[in-house]
Amino acid sequence: MDKRRYFLKKIANAVLTIVLVASFNFALFRILPGDPARLLLPKGKQPPEAVEKQRKAFNLDKPLWQQFIYYWGDTLQGEFGTSFSEKRPVSEVVAERIWPTVLLVGVGTIFATLIGMISGVFAGWRRNGTFDVVTTNLGMVFYSMPTFWFGLLMIMLFATELQWFPTGRMEEPGADLQGWDQIVSLVKHLFLPAFTFAISYVGEYHIIMRSSITGVMTEDFTLTARAKGLSDNKVLWKHVMPNALLPTVTIVMMNIGFVMSGAILSETVFNWPGLGLLAYESMEKRDYPVMQAVFLIASIAVILANLIADIMYYYLDPRVES
Amino acid sequence: MIPRRFVNWLLLWTPVVWLVLTLCTYPKNRPLIIDPQIYPPGEAPSASFSSLIGGFFAPTVANYPAWILVLAAVCVVALGAVGLVRRRKAVTMNVMLLVMGAVFAVWGLDAGGGLGGWQAGGRLGEHGWAFQTAVVVLAALCIYFWARANPERAALTTWNTHQIWRLYRANWQGMLGLYIMVFFGLLALLAPFLADHMMLDPNSQVGTTYAPPTSSYYMWLGTDQVGQSVLAEFIWSARISLVVGLLATAISTLLGAGIGIAAGFYGGWQSEVWMRLTDAFLVIPWLPLAMVLAAAWGQNFWMIILIIGITSWPGTARVVRSDTLRVRELQFIERARAIGSSNGHIMTKHVLPNVFPLIFANTVLVVAIAILSETTLSFLGLGDPLNFSWGTMLHYAWANGAAGLPAWWYLLPPGIAIVLVVLAFTFIGTAFDEVLDPKLRKREESDDRAKKRGGKSPEVAVAAAGGAVTAAGLGAGPAAGPETDKGGDR
Repeated sequence: MDKRRYFLKKIANAVLTIVLVASFNFALFRILPGDPARLLLPKGKQPPEAVEKQRKAFNLDKPLWQQFIYYWGDTLQGEFGTSFSEKRPVSEVVAERIWPTVLLVGVGTIFATLIGMISGVFAGWRRNGTFDVVTTNLGMVFYSMPTFWFGLLMIMLFATELQWFPTGRMEEPGADLQGWDQIVSLVKHLFLPAFTFAISYVGEYHIIMRSSITGVMTEDFTLTARAKGLSDNKVLWKHVMPNALLPTVTIVMMNIGFVMSGAILSETVFNWPGLGLLAYESMEKRDYPVMQAVFLIASIAVILANLIADIMYYYLDPRVES
Repeated sequence: MIPRRFVNWLLLWTPVVWLVLTLCTYPKNRPLIIDPQIYPPGEAPSASFSSLIGGFFAPTVANYPAWILVLAAVCVVALGAVGLVRRRKAVTMNVMLLVMGAVFAVWGLDAGGGLGGWQAGGRLGEHGWAFQTAVVVLAALCIYFWARANPERAALTTWNTHQIWRLYRANWQGMLGLYIMVFFGLLALLAPFLADHMMLDPNSQVGTTYAPPTSSYYMWLGTDQVGQSVLAEFIWSARISLVVGLLATAISTLLGAGIGIAAGFYGGWQSEVWMRLTDAFLVIPWLPLAMVLAAAWGQNFWMIILIIGITSWPGTARVVRSDTLRVRELQFIERARAIGSSNGHIMTKHVLPNVFPLIFANTVLVVAIAILSETTLSFLGLGDPLNFSWGTMLHYAWANGAAGLPAWWYLLPPGIAIVLVVLAFTFIGTAFDEVLDPKLRKREESDDRAKKRGGKSPEVAVAAAGGAVTAAGLGAGPAAGPETDKGGDR
């Protein structure tokens, strides 16, 4: 398949899925029990005029197909209504939460990928050795562990007992730090949430890397490389690794799409002011406009990550071309 | 001739099933150790032997909603009637089924108090235990007479099961998982004996707030933020966590396997539609979706099960579909078509049995995911507020600052239990994967032979196709592909 067609097909697929998911989002908040206009207002008694106003504002008095068109118009303009817990436009509320999540998730993913892949390579290289048995079983434990529980353990150990790190938030309330101090404070606050986030993926990356290394090591070209008399190091890093990286890279990319879900738990436990915490808070307060926006962002992140994974795959794996 | 082993199994499992069913509905107030302090003066129950035995005949035993019983009656009668009309074989079994249907119908009438109460619970029928015993015995008889009528199939089933069990027993990880499961299963089933349900009442304190563990039984794990016994909460939580996990898996598997087989078996646009649906569900991040649904639909026991069930099926659907595509191309399907079998017949009688091992192994893995999902939702405060589960315990611990004290006795037990249970299900699922997949099994045997010859065991390719297959030997762990992967949608 030539390059243009491959990319076009993948992009068309992604766009189609985004349309499906956005329509699902439209439907989801309309099949909920109760009057949608009422749902979009804070809890408690509301005067009928307010409900009417809300109905007008969201075009809920129009027939369903017109609502659908208006919904699309609003969504494409980034217009999600007003958060009723903060009395501000949803887009504003969401925008200021994006950067902390990107920071947390970025650092966490780098940690997880590095630790998981390196330990996976060594475990797969010496399969059934001591290192392999220990790390793989540990990986299984990490894999089955609820993220938030590990976060609570971290708080208990490092924040409460040893007092090395703060228990949460992004900065001390009231502190006004500048320059170097600010960075140190940020790193201190970032460490535990990012570590917790990373641990929830390390086990998975380790296991995938390990099994893909063991898979590649049985291929004929590995045998040839050995037969040529190459050193172990050369066989591993020049011949086995590049091939074994493929499935792992795909999984890592796809997981990056699901970061929102991962971030919800880590951010909630550590009170990290990102999108995940926003999702939790809006759920607690039944802040439906915010929930709707967060849900849409989370879904689109997955689709885009899948698309990037597909495109990367094209460049990483020449076999796709044929 | 029915194999001796088949009869032995029947004799072993009938009482076990009866005991499990009875213990599930055993009255909650028959603990072995009673703390008289939490009862008003003179009202503490006794822990005598006769009280424990009396529990098996209590009104709460086998007290199911009337509509479930009526549904069961209709299903069983339909099964028996169809069998009588269409087959000459196994007449006794079909008659037994009709009798069982009648018992169900009478039971339903008894539970509903006549034709009135269809809703949950009905009145407390006094005779639930008798009906339940009768139904279990009738079911065992049905199986026995089925084997009498089809001795060669009974022999085959026995032999197959025995082989699988033999292979499974040799897998130490699978056995470890099984032991862990038996432990937590017993903990959940024997909860009425192990911990007083009164301890979960908000007014029943056993100590001060966040008291550390002491040697007194209900203080083994200390107390929580209101002074209740953590041990009692822990034991009763096992029930909810496991039951929610199992029921959600049932929904997820039914949906996933059904859609997967349909998508794989029918080609063309039908397949395309199902796969689009599956793909769309795969990219929707399940946690935000589940949060929206739980927030909107309300939080109770059945809603949580439904939400987990309908958010976790796409993985199963993908795996089942790819296996169905393989089976569809096999020769005997073509033959079945040639002699004029209908699509439905081919799907249920030829495709399903061949895909079944995969569905089974996958189901066990889904249980692990479902239990984790339940824990996560409960932790976020979306659990059933009326019942304790391990996730709910962690929610309360977190919300009341147990980590800041630190009250390790409150945080550690539920978390460790979840890790162990999830690990156990993953081990069991992986073990079944290896045992039931002929490709992997053959490899294992050749591995063994190579070892016997004294040579180095050949490193064998890990077939990552479909994602459900993992490395043998040490057991690389859970499904390593994007499709079946829990990591994919966490």
